[in-house]
Amino acid sequence: MVTPLLSLDAVDHVFADGSFGLRGCSLGLERGLRHALLGANGAGKTTLLQHLNGLLRPSAGTLRWNGQPFDYSRAGMAELRRRVGLVFQNPDRQLFSAQVEEDVSFGPLNLGLDAATVRARVASALEAVGLQGQGARAVHHLSFGQKKRVCIAGVLAMEPEVLLLDEPMAGLDAPMQRELEVLLDGLAARGVTVLLSTHDVDFAYRWADRIHLMADGRAIASGPAQQVAQDEAALRSAGQRTPSALALHALLAERGVLARDAYPRSVDAVLDALRALPTLHSGVATP
Amino acid sequence: MLIETAAYASRWRQVAPSAKALFALAGVGAAWLAHSPAVLALLALLLALAALFGARIALRSFLGLVAAPLGFLLLSCLAMLAGLDAHGHWGWHGAPLELVARTALRSLAVLAALLGLVLTTPLPDLISLLRRLRTPELLLDLMVLCYRMLFVLRQAWDDGVSAQRARLGYGDWRHAWRSMGLLAGQLAVQVWQRSAALQMAADARGYAGTLRFLPAVFPQARRQNLQAALAGALLLALAAGDRLW
Repeated sequence: MVTPLLSLDAVDHVFADGSFGLRGCSLGLERGLRHALLGANGAGKTTLLQHLNGLLRPSAGTLRWNGQPFDYSRAGMAELRRRVGLVFQNPDRQLFSAQVEEDVSFGPLNLGLDAATVRARVASALEAVGLQGQGARAVHHLSFGQKKRVCIAGVLAMEPEVLLLDEPMAGLDAPMQRELEVLLDGLAARGVTVLLSTHDVDFAYRWADRIHLMADGRAIASGPAQQVAQDEAALRSAGQRTPSALALHALLAERGVLARDAYPRSVDAVLDALRALPTLHSGVATP
Repeated sequence: MLIETAAYASRWRQVAPSAKALFALAGVGAAWLAHSPAVLALLALLLALAALFGARIALRSFLGLVAAPLGFLLLSCLAMLAGLDAHGHWGWHGAPLELVARTALRSLAVLAALLGLVLTTPLPDLISLLRRLRTPELLLDLMVLCYRMLFVLRQAWDDGVSAQRARLGYGDWRHAWRSMGLLAGQLAVQVWQRSAALQMAADARGYAGTLRFLPAVFPQARRQNLQAALAGALLLALAAGDRLW
């Protein structure tokens, strides 16, 4: 079996008040794939992401990068955070400079790069999120969606191998969600491993290569999106339902309208399959 | 907020902050140097016109900002002219009118020079100028964080007030005081949480003890500095001529 790029092995996380964030959580992320972390609120998604970036240290268990246990020394953490970037859910908690360009330059400057390289990286990161030419704007003049993009640019400018995003779709309108999806697809196409947390099962099923279901601080199912999305019991335990596309397709297949052995990834794909069928003229007489 | 909005909207927004600072400094210097009320008045007028027409600052925001210091100035001028004398009697002080006029006009000129800088330069630009002038890092880091936090907290406060108002939190005086107190307490907790979150966000991006940011570039800085120096020299020459003559 291929060694996962990032993995958790029976990780526990106990908060200061004694409550559990993670409880025996084991999970592996394969390189270059799109991963979705699916679970209800309080399932431990954010805690897991913060562990992968080394912001939290496990109470028990081991995290590994390429099979090697995390090195929690200062230098080890600097190295890990260069490779694994984390975008927080609330942009106002991540942005601390007043100017877009300044904030995006924060990470690469911390990597010790020279000014010219940093400037080039800032420009290309802003272009990647569609904010080219907006570097001189004030952060507090931006909309929520734009702030979110600045946050993503701030992490992209560090050129990480793994991008972690905590609920990236939360608070974005539909067009902006689509734009973000295109951006994430572009990153995945460039070989960046992407892991995002969400509680939208339809989005996870449509977008991800791998789905990891979380409940009560544990990964209860993990695997190819198609396989996990059909595991009704696991979905239910994680507070999720079957993706609409699969449910719709199953009903149509049961009634003999569509072929059984297909697994459309979205409702649109089901509609396309229906459109491809010959139109029936049932000859209903109009009085 | 008025200063902030004006600075981002002004026509001199893209002019190098060093040039604007140079011009303002020359304005302040000239105001100290000049002697006769007429020249001081001319300086104040020139500096105000530069801000209003050169930088296209809206008259409304300019007047709005001038009003408060003008009030103080008026009070001090009145105090120079009239008040209690050594025996406790009200009366005219007999301070020469020329002295009062000179003081007032000099203050006005300095005020116009500083407003010309502040109303055209957003704080991030000023901070990056201070950074180039080798101001201690710690002070600048504090300024950066305070400035950003100001807007975050203002937003949190406004959201809180709206949420309370929606549930009739400001119906009468008693409720208003109670709501305000609750919100202030709540914000204290939020500030603490936000500072923890900010620390985490900085750590996630490899924070190593100093806040480092890329300074903004002003491609025409050299030419603009030269222009500002020339204009400033004219003001200084005007003032020096007045003093020597």
